Amino acid sequence: MMTPKITSSIIRFLKIFYKLDKVIVTILLLLASINIVVQYSANDQSINRLMTDITYLLISFIILIFIANMNLNHLRNSAIPIYVINIILLIAVMFVGTKVHGAKRWLNLGIRIQPSELCKISVPLILAYYFSIKTSALKFIDYVYAFLLILLPFILIAKQPDLGTSILVFCAGFFVMFFVGLPWKVIIYSLGLFLGSTPIIWHFLHDYQKHRILTLIDPQSDPLGKGYHIIQGMIAIGSGGLFGKGYLKGTQIHLDFIPEKRTDFVVSVLAEEMGFIGVSVILALYLILILHCLKIVNNSNDIFTKSLAGSIILSMTLYVLVNMGMVAGIFPVVGVPLPFISYGGTATIVLMIEFGILLAMVKQTKY
Amino acid sequence: MTKSRIIASYIFVICTFIILFSRYFYLQLIDHGNLLQQSINNYSSIVAALPVRGGIIDRNGVILSDNKVSYVVAILPKSIKKSNDLFDKLSEYINITELDRKKYQTQLKHSKNYDWIIIKDDLSNTEVANLTAHGYEFPELSVFARTKRYYPFDEIYSHSIGYVGRVSSNDKAKIDKSGQSNDYLSNDYIGKSGLEAYYEGYLRGQLGKKIIQTDAFGNEVGLIANTQATDGYTIELTIDNNLQQLAWKALGDNKGAIVAIDPQTGGILAYVSKPGFDPNWFIDGISNDDWDDLSNNSNKPLLNRASQGSYPPGSTFKPFMAIGSLYLGIRTPEQTMNDPGYYIIPGSTHKFRDSQPNGLGIINLTQAIMHSSDAYFYKLGLDMGIDRLDQVMNLFGFGAKTGIDLPHENPGLLPSRAWKAKRFSRDPYQKNWLAADSVNIGIGQGFNNYTPLQMAQATAILANDGIVIKPHFLNRILEKDGTTIESYRYAESRLPIPQSDIEVVKKAMQKVITEGNARQLGVGLKYTMAGKTGTAQVVGMNQDSRKAKFSGQEFKDHAWFIAFAPVDNPKIAVAVIVENGGWGASAAGPIARKLFDYYLIDKNNSTDNNQYLKFTPNNNQDGEENSDDDTEDN
Repeated sequence: MMTPKITSSIIRFLKIFYKLDKVIVTILLLLASINIVVQYSANDQSINRLMTDITYLLISFIILIFIANMNLNHLRNSAIPIYVINIILLIAVMFVGTKVHGAKRWLNLGIRIQPSELCKISVPLILAYYFSIKTSALKFIDYVYAFLLILLPFILIAKQPDLGTSILVFCAGFFVMFFVGLPWKVIIYSLGLFLGSTPIIWHFLHDYQKHRILTLIDPQSDPLGKGYHIIQGMIAIGSGGLFGKGYLKGTQIHLDFIPEKRTDFVVSVLAEEMGFIGVSVILALYLILILHCLKIVNNSNDIFTKSLAGSIILSMTLYVLVNMGMVAGIFPVVGVPLPFISYGGTATIVLMIEFGILLAMVKQTKY
Repeated sequence: MTKSRIIASYIFVICTFIILFSRYFYLQLIDHGNLLQQSINNYSSIVAALPVRGGIIDRNGVILSDNKVSYVVAILPKSIKKSNDLFDKLSEYINITELDRKKYQTQLKHSKNYDWIIIKDDLSNTEVANLTAHGYEFPELSVFARTKRYYPFDEIYSHSIGYVGRVSSNDKAKIDKSGQSNDYLSNDYIGKSGLEAYYEGYLRGQLGKKIIQTDAFGNEVGLIANTQATDGYTIELTIDNNLQQLAWKALGDNKGAIVAIDPQTGGILAYVSKPGFDPNWFIDGISNDDWDDLSNNSNKPLLNRASQGSYPPGSTFKPFMAIGSLYLGIRTPEQTMNDPGYYIIPGSTHKFRDSQPNGLGIINLTQAIMHSSDAYFYKLGLDMGIDRLDQVMNLFGFGAKTGIDLPHENPGLLPSRAWKAKRFSRDPYQKNWLAADSVNIGIGQGFNNYTPLQMAQATAILANDGIVIKPHFLNRILEKDGTTIESYRYAESRLPIPQSDIEVVKKAMQKVITEGNARQLGVGLKYTMAGKTGTAQVVGMNQDSRKAKFSGQEFKDHAWFIAFAPVDNPKIAVAVIVENGGWGASAAGPIARKLFDYYLIDKNNSTDNNQYLKFTPNNNQDGEENSDDDTEDN
């Protein structure tokens, strides 16, 4: 009979699940549930989309468990090929990418993938690998090489153009250098240099990017144009109040005042329909997850896992900050998804890979 | 690896969550009210349905205040970006004046988000066609028709019916104060003067509101609330339009006023103040030039002479003095005195001159009225004294508002000792009431002046044997379908004066017409008529010579005439004043005669009643009143 076989494989699967870090797994499951609930509303109760979402989540959880049970050395050793393949994909995007809203970001390989999203893991991976093979004390030139490794995908992504993602990729790489001990002096100097060169950077920004920054400063200057997204986002959040307007009852969302309500602006769905309570719940989940993972990073002694995991965690914090800050009108509108809640196949899978690495780290540190 | 990296990470994480938590706390709890309202404004779109303002008709149904269709181009406040660009672009297709821009700014000041702000009204057919053809360039604009007030008789009713105009800042303040701020739109009309203002509450109707739910693209997705507009009531006046037209024409090019009252009901039959102005100019805001023309015009067309202008009554005061003297027992009808052509206060030397230089000889009260003896009434003024004069003249309504249904009535001036003491409080010689003051008032000169309306009302009281009925324009308030909502109910009160006293004076006034100083008015009379002429001095006369110190039209005396007819069963009482008309009997009297002839005889034979648009009861809920068809039938 088939039944005992299936039952035993489910039990085996649950056992594997059970062995993983319970805090991370519980929070990921909770976030996944919130994803389904919120996306169902954002998709105007489409059952088809609900099924797609569930399927994607199941796939990403399978990937999570697969990575969690992987030997991290295998991952470490594949850092170079992953990075190289990723760069090739980025270059391919330049030539054969699919253009959406004026930006070439996607590659159609049967399923549509976004190579720039993959960089969020491949870049910290190559850097962590690069620093872990250095046996002697790190010299300044090592950081310069590492910097070049970041700069290549950064430029390729910025040219798509997708400044948001390129900055996040840059940050992911930077966080690795930060954890391997990039001197504070260098950090402060480069920060000073960056701020000093802002006018020059401003000059090179695309008009749409300048507008986004300008409208952030004064959204009311152009309420029907560039400031529209920011204003509507804030209205959705603020009108939710403490308890929200009720599930599926958000007017800003369902009457199409919110652009990108499934992706970048998804938090407005939560904020409008479930209010400050809903926002607090999701903030609390993120905070617990991040603090828990930082503890794991702190306990780790391996330079590869420590810097990689550290980068993953700080990147995620940055995503939360930039995404929720953008919808709430305190950051420019850049395409940063809200981790685990925004719709987006590649992004969710990359996140699950990242947390798979974290889970694997915990597992391998314990045993 | 240094510990500092981990600590820095913790700081970064904590800062992130503090920032996000506080920002969401601020938006969702502190700024919630404001943002919730914005979200409601986002999805709800209020469409106001304007009520059709009720018409104003005369006693025969002739439409005096009508509505017509006006095409306007308008914009919703939420769609306004830069109005200057818009105006510049629009001027390519329609003619936009400075006045239009000014009106636009005024509306903008009090607009609600669902108010259409009118950019230009009364669009010509060409302009409508241009805008329609280029509609794609102005997706935010809307061209639609709305009803607008129209006064078919121009200036003839300018001082009685008045006019409506756009809601101004002052109106807005009043509306807000009375708690009606939701009943008016910023581009709305409101009664500004006359009956339009007085009966605003009946004429206006009720604003309807349809609140629809829309999505971000403005598509209607649901209906939140819908209240229909209720049209205003039609006001039927006691005015007889034919009589009004006749009165207007009868004054010719003169300045002056005519008030005709039905003494038995108090209904105003005609109400003329000339010159007038075209009330149509005021509806959508008058241009500065037109306003300057009107307000700086030396003929004062904006002055409502009939109820706001006041004049010394002159000899028209004498019949009332006579009744007072009989009532107070100061005179009997039979009592006689010698009129030598002047009067001297005993113990003084000053001669109060008579208008008949040689006097009338021995006369009684009736003869004094018939021939308008000044000497008789000089003496009577003194004999009666100001206190009793004040008391008895008050009975006829002199010096008090009549209470007519018009705003801003002038109470006139019936003096008293107290009044003079106050008026000349700084002048020790003037502040005491002097015998000469009483003497002057005896013939209606000096410190007293009354509105033509007050004179007409006093005449009506006299005609009606002392029964006082408040003068009024309102006859009935009608529903659109012609059913009566309310009829004017007048209250009567009776003066304490015996009818016999009044009868003596009425007979004397009748003799003024038949054999007295206005006997030319009685020629060919087919009914009985009673009247009294009067002359109000414009400038001080030299009492010794009785010649005007100044010459020229503007210094000529004002001519008065009061009258009623028929004497035994009065149907109409009038007061006519012709400014600078000279002598009452020749300048004002014939006007009264014309009105009486029409009202008592010709009216019943006349067939020209159908030349005007008439109110047609409308039972069809959807259809508009279409009076044009009716005239064609007629």
